[in-house]
Amino acid sequence: MTVIARRLAGHLARGLVMVLVVTTISFVIIRNIPGDPIAARYEKLIEQGMSPDQAERATAVLYGFMPKGTLWQQYVDYMTGLFTLDLGESLMTPGAQVTDVLFEATKWTVLPVLVGTLLSFLIGVMMGVYAAIKRSGKLGDVLAVSGSLLHGIPQYVLALLLGALFTTLIPILPSGGTADIMFEPGFNLDYIGSLIEHATLPVLTYALASYGGWILAMKSSVVTVLGDDFILAAELRGMKRGIIFRYIARNAILPLFTILALSLGLLFGGAIFIERIFNYPGLGLMLIDSITNRDFALMGGAFLLITVAIIIANIVADMLYTVIDPRVRSGEEVAR
Amino acid sequence: MTVETMPKAVPPVPSKTAPGVRVGGLSVVYKTSAGELPAIAGINLDLVPGTITGVVGESGSGKSTLALSLLNAVQPPGRIAAGSVEIDGLGDVVALRGEDLRKARGRHIGYVFQAAQNSLNPLKTVGKQLLDLGRSHGVSDLRALVREAKELLGRMGMDGARVLDSHQHELSGGMRQRVGIMLALVLNAHLVVLDEPTTALDMITQATILRIIREVHEERGLTTLVITHDLGVVAEVADRLAVMYGGRIVEQGPTREVLGGPRHPYTRGLLRAIPRLVGDIDEARALPGRPPTLGTVPREGCVFRERCPLRMDVCDTVEPLAIADGPRIVACHAVDAAAAKETKA
Amino acid sequence: MSDMNPAVALPGNTRATLRRNFWRGVWRVLKRKPSRMAGAIIVLAFAFMGVFGPMFYPDQLPRDDNALYAPPSWAHPFGTDFEGTDVLALVITGSQYVLLTGLVTAVITIVLGTGIGLFAGFRRGRWDSVLMRITDMKLTIPGLPLLLVLSTIWKFSSAWEMGLVLGLLGWGGVARAVRSQTLSLRERGFIEAARGLGLSTTHIIGRELLPSMAPFIAMNMLIAVTGAVYAQVGLFFLGVLPFEANNWGVMLNLAVFGGGALTTTAALPYLLAPLLAILLLTLGIVLVVDAMDEIFNPRLREE
Repeated sequence: MTVIARRLAGHLARGLVMVLVVTTISFVIIRNIPGDPIAARYEKLIEQGMSPDQAERATAVLYGFMPKGTLWQQYVDYMTGLFTLDLGESLMTPGAQVTDVLFEATKWTVLPVLVGTLLSFLIGVMMGVYAAIKRSGKLGDVLAVSGSLLHGIPQYVLALLLGALFTTLIPILPSGGTADIMFEPGFNLDYIGSLIEHATLPVLTYALASYGGWILAMKSSVVTVLGDDFILAAELRGMKRGIIFRYIARNAILPLFTILALSLGLLFGGAIFIERIFNYPGLGLMLIDSITNRDFALMGGAFLLITVAIIIANIVADMLYTVIDPRVRSGEEVAR
Repeated sequence: MTVETMPKAVPPVPSKTAPGVRVGGLSVVYKTSAGELPAIAGINLDLVPGTITGVVGESGSGKSTLALSLLNAVQPPGRIAAGSVEIDGLGDVVALRGEDLRKARGRHIGYVFQAAQNSLNPLKTVGKQLLDLGRSHGVSDLRALVREAKELLGRMGMDGARVLDSHQHELSGGMRQRVGIMLALVLNAHLVVLDEPTTALDMITQATILRIIREVHEERGLTTLVITHDLGVVAEVADRLAVMYGGRIVEQGPTREVLGGPRHPYTRGLLRAIPRLVGDIDEARALPGRPPTLGTVPREGCVFRERCPLRMDVCDTVEPLAIADGPRIVACHAVDAAAAKETKA
Repeated sequence: MSDMNPAVALPGNTRATLRRNFWRGVWRVLKRKPSRMAGAIIVLAFAFMGVFGPMFYPDQLPRDDNALYAPPSWAHPFGTDFEGTDVLALVITGSQYVLLTGLVTAVITIVLGTGIGLFAGFRRGRWDSVLMRITDMKLTIPGLPLLLVLSTIWKFSSAWEMGLVLGLLGWGGVARAVRSQTLSLRERGFIEAARGLGLSTTHIIGRELLPSMAPFIAMNMLIAVTGAVYAQVGLFFLGVLPFEANNWGVMLNLAVFGGGALTTTAALPYLLAPLLAILLLTLGIVLVVDAMDEIFNPRLREE
C-alpha cells in the first residue's frame, strides 16, 4: 500500500506543478495580448461613467484579476481565483460563470469520446490479437496495414471525409449540432433518437481515428507475449488452449490499459477538430469560440480543464497499472 | 492414474511406473532462408526405465531441440522430419496430434524449464496456475491437487502454502526451479525432462537442486532426462550419458565409464577442457575452433572433423556410424579403426 | 569529417564500401515490395512540388468570375474555388508553406530532441532526471490547445515562424526515445567498451552513438514532418489564424465553413483536393517509414 501512496503523492505533486505551469501560460498570454484588452475594457467602463472602483471590479470579474497593481499582485490574484474555482464570468454568455459554461460543454465532449474510444478499443484489441496470430498471413497483413494507415491519417481529414461522404454525397446523417431543434429536449424517444443520429458522425470519427492505434499496439503486445517463455511453458504443461489464450490476452492487454486511460484524458482536448467540423458544442468548440470571441476567462478555464483531465488520466493510468500488475504492486520496477 | 488414487503415505515403488523411452532415427529440421537445415539428425537414444540420462552438449548442439522433440513440441520454423519417440504407455509421441498430445504433456511427461527463463505467468500466483493446470487435465479433486503440490514443495524444503500464494517475481531462481519441478510432477508424470536445471543458479543452489532431482527421482520412480552443457551436472546425477555435437549423439554409455575412459575425440576434448582443483592449470586445454551452427554443420562426413585431432580422409565423405560395444556406443571412424586393429592383433 | 581520430577511423575505402552496400540494401528493400517504391516516388514528388511548384504559376493566380465552384474539367481537374481560381493550382502553390513548415519543424524537433536525449542518456544522474522531468511535463501539456491559446498572441505569418513554434513544442517524444536508445546502448557495454579503447566523448557520440541511431532518427524525422503538416494545416483549418498565406488548411476552412462543403456538393472538389494531397503525403511517408524499418531492422525481415 505504501508504494501506491508514494506514487500517488508523486503524481499529485507533479500535477500541481503542471497546473501552475499551464495557468501561468494563460496568465502571461492574457497579459500580453496585443492591444491590452484588459486596460481597454477598464478605460471603456470609465468612459461609460463607472467609478474607477466599480470599473476595476467589473474588469476583474471578466478576466479573473484586477487591471491595476503590480504584475505580481495580478498574478497572485489570478491564481487565488483559480484555486477557489472562481474562474470569472464568460464574455460570450454574459452573466454566466465560466465554471458553469465549462461544465455544460464537458458533458458534450465526454460522452461521445467515451463511447467512441471504448468502441475502438474493443474492436481494435480484438483485431490486434487476430493480426498478431495471423501475422504471416494475408489477412493479418491487411489488418496491420489498414491499422497504420488509419493511425497515420489526421483526425480532421477523417472527419471531413466521413462528413463529405455521409452528409453531402449520401445525405443520411445530419451535418452538425447535438439534436434537431424540432424536438423537445428531455427523455422522449424523438429527442434521444435525434441525439444518437447527431452523435453518430463524431463517435464514428473518434472510433476510426483511434482504432488504428489500438490494433497496432495490441498486435505488437501480443507478438511480444507470444515470444515469452511462460507461454511455451504452459503449452508444454499441456494447458488448455483457452487458458493459454487467456494468459496471452491478459498479459498483452496490460500495457494497453494504461494507454487507454491516457487517451481518454487526451481526448478531452483532442476532440477539437471533430467538434469544430460537426459543430458539436463540447470543450474543444468552446475553446475555439472563446479564442475567436476574445473571451479570455473562458479560454484560460478551458485550457486548464483540458490539462487537468490529462493529469488525472495520468494518475488513473498509473494507479490502474498498480492495481492490475502484481509486479508494480510489490514495488518492483517493470522494464516493459 | 489420477491424483486421488495415488498412495500418499507409502512412497511409490521405484521403477514400477517408470516408462522406457526409445528415440529412433529422429531428425528435426529448421526452415531458414537457406532452405531446411537439420538441427538434429538420426538420433538414436534409449532411456532405460527408472534411470537418469544426461545429455551434454555445447549451445547449438541440438540438445534442447532433442528435449522438445520428446514432447513433440519443436517450435516453428522447426519440425520433426523423420523418426519416432516411443514412450511406454503412450506410443509414438511424434504421431500424436491435438488433444491427445496436449493431454500427454504435463500428465505423462513433465518438462522443467531453465530457472533463468520465466516459465510462470507473471500476473498469476503459483497456486492459481496450479489450478489452471489441474483444470486443463480434468482433475476433479482440486483440493487433493493442492495438497499434493504443497507436499511436493515441502519435500523440496519450501513453505508450500506461501509459495502457492506467491507471484513469480517474488521467488528466487532456486525457488522458481523447485516450483517448476513441482508443476512437472504434480500430475504424477513419470517421465521428466529437465532443460538446463542448474544454469543461472549459484553454486549452493545448484547442489541443492541436483540433490532434489536425484532424491525425487528415486522416491517417485521416474525416468529422467537432464539436458545440460555442464559435464559436472551429469557426473553428479546421471546414470547414463549422451554427448551431442552438431546435432548428432557422438558417444553414449554409462556415465562412469564414459567419463572414466572417453573414446570419442570430442568427449576427450571436453574432459580435457575442465580445469581441475589439483594439478596443473595448463593441463586444462580448451578445444580449438568453434562449435558449428545450423548453417555451418557439414552436409556430409563427420560433423566434428574440423576440430578433430584424429581426422582421417574418410571423415570428409562418410558419416561415422554409431557402433555399439557393450553398453557403450561411439560414432567415430578413428575409434572404429583402432578397434579393428585391436581385434586383428 | 575524418580528421578527428585518424588512428581509429575506418580507412576511406572501407567507409565507401559500407556506404555502397547500404544503398544496395536500400535498393533491394525498395524493389522487394513495389508499394515501397511508390512511397519513395510520392515523397519525392511532393518535395519537387514544394520546391518548384510555385514557379509554374504567377504570383497572383488567375480568377475566373464566370466559373465559381466550377465542377472538375480538363481545364480545372479539381474544379475552382469561390473566386473561380483553379483548385489544383491552389494545392500546388499552397504546398510550399505546408512542406517548408514540415521541414523546419522536423529539423528543430530532431536537433533538439536528439541533443537533449543524447545528453540526458549519456550523462545520466541529475541532468538526466531534470531533463526528463521537463520532457514529461512538455508531453503532458496538450499540444493543440496550447497552440490555439498561443495563436491569440502569435500570428504564424511565415512558414519559418510556424515551423519554429511547432518544433519547439514537439521535441519531447524524440528526446525520450533517443535517451532510452542511448541508455540501452550503454547497457550493452557499447560506451564503456569505446571508453576502454581510449576514445573521446565527441568521438563516441559522433562516430559510435549517432550512426547507430541515425536510422531511428531519420524515421522520427519523417514522422515529425507529417506531424507538423497535420498540425499546421489543422490550425489554419480551425480558422483561429488570419489567412495571410495560401495553404491547404485555409482551403479546407474556406471549403467547409465558407463553401458549405458538408452540406452541398458544389464545393466538394475544393474540399477533397487538399484532403487528397494530405492523404497521399501520409501514404507516401508511411510506406517509406515501413521500408526504412526493414532496412534498419533486419530482424523484421525474417517474419
